[in-house]
Amino acid sequence: MTLSLPPKHLVIYADDDPDDLELVRDSFDKYAQNVELISFEDGRKALQYLLGLAQQRKTPCLIILDINLPGLDGKEMLKTIRTIPHFKDTPVVLFTTSSQPSDKAFARNLDAGFMTKPLSYEQMDLITEQFIEHCAEDIRKKIRRQLG
Amino acid sequence: MLMILEEFESLTESRQLDLLYTQGVYIGKCAKEGCTTLLFQLDSFYVELFYLKYRCYIKRMDLFTSPEAIDEYLQPVDIENLAG
Repeated sequence: MTLSLPPKHLVIYADDDPDDLELVRDSFDKYAQNVELISFEDGRKALQYLLGLAQQRKTPCLIILDINLPGLDGKEMLKTIRTIPHFKDTPVVLFTTSSQPSDKAFARNLDAGFMTKPLSYEQMDLITEQFIEHCAEDIRKKIRRQLG
Repeated sequence: MLMILEEFESLTESRQLDLLYTQGVYIGKCAKEGCTTLLFQLDSFYVELFYLKYRCYIKRMDLFTSPEAIDEYLQPVDIENLAG
C-alpha cells in the first residue's frame, strides 16, 4: 500500500542576510511537515524561480521579501510580481528592519503586507504566526490544522 | 514630540524595544565583542543593540548622540560612476 502525503504549501523567502534567513527558517520549523520554505539570497534569482513556478501553474502560499536585496531589491521585486497575472493575488510580505512609513505605504499600494523584523525573543515568537496570517484563509486553516 | 535620550533611558527594556521596533530607523548591522549588533536612530540619538542570540536575547543596549560612532556601520559606496 502506498500512502500519498498532501503536497506542502510553498513559501518563498528572499533575504541576503544569512542570520535572518536562518532565523526565518527556524521559525517555520514547527510547520516543516506541511510548509516548504525555499529561500534565496538574490532578488533576481528569486524572481527567476517564481517565473518558473508560474510556467508550471504553481503558486506559493506566501512570498516574503526583504527590501535591501542584491540583484533586484524587494520593492522592485514586488512591483514585478504584481505585473505577472499568475501572482496577481498571491500574498506578499515586505519583511524589513526599518519601519519606514513610506515603505509601509508602498507595500499597501501593491496589496502586500509589511512586517518589521523582530528585535527580541517576544517579538520573534510571533513572526511565524504573523506570516501565516497573510496566507489565504483556507491555507491558513490547513497549515494550522495539520500542525495539530 | 521628539524623545530625548534621557527619556528613553528611563523606560523599561520592553518599552524601549517596542519604541525601536515601531519608530526606530535602522542604520546597520555589525559584529563587535563577539556579538552581532544592530544600530538604530531614534529621533536625536542612537541605540546600539548587542545580541547574545541574534534578534532574540540582548546582552546590552548602548545609547549615544555622537554621529561619529555610526561610521563603522556605514558601508563605503563607490561614487566613481555616480558623477555627472
